[in-house]
Amino acid sequence: MPVRLPPSVTFRCQPVLLSVFLWMAGLAWAAEAGTVDFVRDVRPIFQNHCYECHGEKKQKGGLRLDIGPEALKGGSRHGPDILPGKAGESRLIHLVTAAGADEEERMPPDGEGLSPAQIGILTTWINEGAVWPGDAVRLKDKRDHWSFKPLAANPAPPAMPATPPPTGPGGPSSSVPVSIDTFIEASLRQKGLAFSPPADRTAWLRRVTFDLTGLPPIPEDVADFVKDTQPGAMERVVERLLASPRYGERQAQHWLDVVRYADTHGFEVNTERPNAWPYRDYVIDAFNAGTPYDRFIREQIVGDTLGKDAATGFLVTASVLLPGQIGQDEPSKRLARQDALDEIVNNIGQTFLGLSIGCARCHDHKFDPVTARDYYAMQAFVAGVEYEDRELRTPEAEAARRKAEAAKLQLARISRELTRFIPLAGGGAGRPMINARENVDRFAPVKARRLRFTIRATNNLEPCLDELEVLSVAGANVALARAGAVVSASGSTEVADRHSLKFLNDGEYGNARSWMGNETGKGRVTVEFAQEESIDRVLWGRDRQEQFTDRLALDYLIEVADASGEWKAVADAEDRRRFDPKDEKPWVFTTGGLGAEEAAEAGRLIREKEPLEATLRAAAIAQQVFAGIFRKPDEIHLLNRGDPEQPGEEVPPAVPAALGDLVLARDTPERQRRQALAGWIASPENPLTARVMVNRLWQGHFGTGLVQTPSDFGNNGMPPTHPALLDWLAGEFIRSGWSVKHMHRLMVLSRTYGQSGPGSSLGSPAAAVDAEARLLWCFPSRRLEAEAIRDSMLAINGLLNLKMHGPGYDLFNQRGGLSGFNPVETFTGDGLRRMIYAHKVRRETEAVFGAFDCPDAGQSTAARRASTTPIQALNLFNSRFTLEQSEAFAARIIREAGGDISRQVTRAWQLALSRAPTGAELEDASTVVSRHGLALLCRALFNSNEFLFPP
Amino acid sequence: MTHHAELLSSAGQALLSRRRFLSSSATALGSIALTNLLGLDGLLAEGGHIGGDGPVIDSARPYAPRLGHFAGKAKNVVVIFCAGAVSQLETWDYKPELIKWDGKPLPNGPAVTFQGPAGNLARPQYEFRPRGRTGKMVSDLIPHLAGLTDDIAFVHSLTSKSNTHGPAENFLSTGFVLDGFPSLGSWVTYALGSESQELPSYVAIPDPRGVPQNGSNNWGPGFLPAAFQGTTLSSKNPVRHLTAPGVSSDADHAGRSLLQRMNARHLEANPGDSKLAARIASYELAARMQLSVPGIGDLGTEPAHILRMYGADDTGNPDKAAFAKNCILARRLIEKGVRFVQLFNGAYASGGKLNWDGHSALKEQYDVHAEILDQPAAALIRDLRARGLLEDTLVVWCTEFGRMPFFQKGAKGRDHNPDGFTCWLTGAGVKPGVSHGVTDELGQKAVQDIHPLYDFNATILHLLGLDHERLTFEHNGIQRRLTNVEGNVIRQVVA
Repeated sequence: MPVRLPPSVTFRCQPVLLSVFLWMAGLAWAAEAGTVDFVRDVRPIFQNHCYECHGEKKQKGGLRLDIGPEALKGGSRHGPDILPGKAGESRLIHLVTAAGADEEERMPPDGEGLSPAQIGILTTWINEGAVWPGDAVRLKDKRDHWSFKPLAANPAPPAMPATPPPTGPGGPSSSVPVSIDTFIEASLRQKGLAFSPPADRTAWLRRVTFDLTGLPPIPEDVADFVKDTQPGAMERVVERLLASPRYGERQAQHWLDVVRYADTHGFEVNTERPNAWPYRDYVIDAFNAGTPYDRFIREQIVGDTLGKDAATGFLVTASVLLPGQIGQDEPSKRLARQDALDEIVNNIGQTFLGLSIGCARCHDHKFDPVTARDYYAMQAFVAGVEYEDRELRTPEAEAARRKAEAAKLQLARISRELTRFIPLAGGGAGRPMINARENVDRFAPVKARRLRFTIRATNNLEPCLDELEVLSVAGANVALARAGAVVSASGSTEVADRHSLKFLNDGEYGNARSWMGNETGKGRVTVEFAQEESIDRVLWGRDRQEQFTDRLALDYLIEVADASGEWKAVADAEDRRRFDPKDEKPWVFTTGGLGAEEAAEAGRLIREKEPLEATLRAAAIAQQVFAGIFRKPDEIHLLNRGDPEQPGEEVPPAVPAALGDLVLARDTPERQRRQALAGWIASPENPLTARVMVNRLWQGHFGTGLVQTPSDFGNNGMPPTHPALLDWLAGEFIRSGWSVKHMHRLMVLSRTYGQSGPGSSLGSPAAAVDAEARLLWCFPSRRLEAEAIRDSMLAINGLLNLKMHGPGYDLFNQRGGLSGFNPVETFTGDGLRRMIYAHKVRRETEAVFGAFDCPDAGQSTAARRASTTPIQALNLFNSRFTLEQSEAFAARIIREAGGDISRQVTRAWQLALSRAPTGAELEDASTVVSRHGLALLCRALFNSNEFLFPP
Repeated sequence: MTHHAELLSSAGQALLSRRRFLSSSATALGSIALTNLLGLDGLLAEGGHIGGDGPVIDSARPYAPRLGHFAGKAKNVVVIFCAGAVSQLETWDYKPELIKWDGKPLPNGPAVTFQGPAGNLARPQYEFRPRGRTGKMVSDLIPHLAGLTDDIAFVHSLTSKSNTHGPAENFLSTGFVLDGFPSLGSWVTYALGSESQELPSYVAIPDPRGVPQNGSNNWGPGFLPAAFQGTTLSSKNPVRHLTAPGVSSDADHAGRSLLQRMNARHLEANPGDSKLAARIASYELAARMQLSVPGIGDLGTEPAHILRMYGADDTGNPDKAAFAKNCILARRLIEKGVRFVQLFNGAYASGGKLNWDGHSALKEQYDVHAEILDQPAAALIRDLRARGLLEDTLVVWCTEFGRMPFFQKGAKGRDHNPDGFTCWLTGAGVKPGVSHGVTDELGQKAVQDIHPLYDFNATILHLLGLDHERLTFEHNGIQRRLTNVEGNVIRQVVA
């Protein structure tokens, strides 16, 4: 029967008594059973009572008791728990005997605790020196892992000559490298398997075109390739595809998945990040230009020093809390900063190194040789990075900026001049409807010391004005704070970096620099000028940037008071056209109602504006980039359990100690930190960098990487299916000067890639051994990704807009807030560009194609799932997008094939599936077309498995 | 047919039977064959069960019901998610001491909290009185829900990792403050599939006034397969793309059967590719949804006394009536076997006007919000019980954090407080009439049985028969869980 220690016996208050007790218990036990044997006596106690929390799966408090050296090291929060020879001082004994006031601490926490006999065994064992026999398990050295070792110098497959690939007319010529095939075939033969027969030529063309460009081959490409029976035909196709701008668009999508690129900030407001896209364009251009991968890495970490300013957008692709969203208490600020830095470290670790370094934020990495100290040392490299826009520093941007400054001044002058021709308030002529962008109230010149603007009704909520301008007869804005004007209000809602009374006359437009009242439907602002002014115009708006139309003043009164203090009304909403929320047309100045002379003058001004506005638009595009700003680095401290409120020692920048010896001084300037880090990653000596990237490229072509966990090459990741091949590819990558296109060539021109798919493998022995074709006994076919489906539909129906670069088009016509994201259903113009040019809203995937496993850019997506759901079927079969694209497809077919139904059906098959229909297909489809029209066939083709699963 | 069926693997045999179906169904779309595809002919029992770390999912039928790690009392879940952070002090956490301290500064209190400088302590803005057999003190703000306390298990000592709505709603819904992690409902349907093959397995119902502060990340699948994303549906807005606009049903049917014949021929030519059959099945499932979904949202069949009980007939308060209809919709979904329903009360950030974010005029705003929440939500729970659905349905009431015992300086409202707040459970598997955990005497911080929200989520999974430590999914090298590396089941609230 277990006997508990009396509650009064505790280590802390009666150490002598306890020691004696333990000594006696141990002695008694030893006398009974001879000396203590670890394996026979001690380990079972640990196994039965401790392993659940301190074993292989969990190490609470950092302590594990299943492995000798670890157990003797002790937990992470204090010194060793076991002091050999000193049971009385060992924390382990204290914990298993804790009682009374210390009972909360007792281990194990549940149940009755250890029996005195068990405690006796442990005591004796420790007093006898805590011998842990050498044959007991040792903890695997986390550094002893394949991916942390240098690339194999001469990786070779098991010795076996590869069967030369068939080299008939049009087959791969003899100069095509066969090395990939050598490795793959060797491992197939080991399992008694062999390659499948080659796919037919059209199937190969379709496959490689989708893989390299994300689009189907056009019928002419198919015909050309079938005709080209000369040696090198396949190489010529591959070169054509690699030279196509479509190639960079396709490969960039894979990269943007990994770095979780989006055009919004994420979290609750998920507001627009309007200048993120230059990074997206940078990635597309880098792939198209064949930027060597080592350079590509450097540019993304220190592109600001390499003439690639937009590339450092990489550092700040994550969600981030904006200043107004972070609590004003200091702990909130510190936590937000830590989260922001954490995302940068994660991005670098996962993307380039295939390592989940972020796991060590709270505790040493459970599987990989990354300590919490290593993690914070990595943070120190990027501790000067802030998530913000900066001005692009390219010569083009600088020039555009100078032009824009001049244009802005001229435009302001013209706009003010134009207001001279606006109908007078209360002048009898009807005035235009109030609009959210800008309204002008003109009145006869009047002397004013003060002006007040009273809002008597809004379209909803508290009123909001982004700027109130009052023009003197000379055309100067005398309401500006810089001109000495002072504003007051009946009440204001202050929201940091968004709404403030001082934003009413700060000369800045937009919702983020606006005044908001504090009463629903009403409010008043008063401007007191520096001195009495002769004024004749008031300009005001809700949001000159045209993002917001709520909180708009609908009924208002403008009054002025001269030095005498008498208020006098000068304008109100009475003679304006009644407000109609459905009338969304922006108000445009017209010369209607003006006399001939005035109309001519106004017309001249309007014409003068146009080129200036174009200059501004161009400059706005070229000016800013969300690519981080760089400042003096924060001091980085080791944080206990990742808690910013528990800082430990300061940590200088350093790479994980197990992986390299790069350590920088604490005072290393910001830029040099990033340069050093980039140099260490983008080095042929780094065992991870090349392996991780060739594996991503392999995954792009074969669906699954040689390492199935593309962003985890650590101990917890999957080992490579073909380790020698991976090292050979990595070596080849480095030898080629880190040429990504070279790797594509090697892969898509291999016999492995050119095999037929799994379709004809039913019942084959290979399918029984390796159903997923991980050994590549056939080409593992897979469904098109979301973007490729949409892009291909538009390519097939001829509407695809190939415009590259620039701000994204909208997938939603209502962005965030109460209504959420309301999808655009009908696309025209820019909306028909490739999906990589869509404005990517984080966490909110596209309404039709999002369901096809489109990443939401919250966390990194290193490999897309290809799930199959009824929602996908509903979206692709019933959406307005599909119906409209089917109509357009039908129209194209009729244009190209005329009125004959069988010619129409044949053309449809060629465009969508790169082949002619069979007799049965032709007959079946023709019947349906004759009854229900061609668009219905097009809709079915867009939904067909043959379209969605390239061969 | 020359195949020797006995030589094929079971997967091969299943495929073969699908092929037979498909080749015969070109002329007759048979429900027998569909049943075959979906595994509804008694195969559901072996529709898969959860493995050591995560469920084994048949891609042809991702929503097939699966067994949990152990037998849980609850099969389905309704979450009533009150966005904006409901004040524990005005609802469930009775703090008489705070009345005494009304108007006095909090000694050693923080000078600045989330939104700015702290003002003086403020008494609960509503009277509290004992309720039911347990005599639980609940405020007059929510009299209908207060009438249910005998069946509720309260946890008064929850803590959050963030005091900002976005990250905190992420934390409540996904177990992480960062964006991009799978939501609770996604984890549950990933684990258990659904009893219904005709309706989405996971439905999110936004508040009639608008989407919640953290939007779709509250029902996002994160890195789980897209199949487990919450589908939004409400009494106001139907599921998207249920029907093709402007296409006659004749033509629609012809298109569908043409597609089916095309896919059948393609499968015939590629019998070795199992992904193809899964996609064909998804179109059959979609067709079933097309038939079932419109009916589920049609409340015309609900009798007048039910509409009245929920307050759906309240013409004087359209927001309340619309929320009540959402509550009825939730019950109808649960009746049909939908696994997880997430019902939002409270919309986007609006200075507390449209959700529970009472910074400036708490009482004035809570009067409005409680009117919308109280009667409909209470009616939902009573109705579920009356129909016997509470036997295997868990109802969760939650909010992302609580509020401070003091007002904000110069305002009549309370700032964000992640250090001690209340959520509760009722229904299947829940110990009734329990109040677990304690905040300090002013209700600012949890002081006894402190539970980070990890524990609350672990408990919800436990009630469903899921071990939160073994429900995992590999993502970028980490076996991810709803509870990260934390979480302990709160045994005190489990029956």
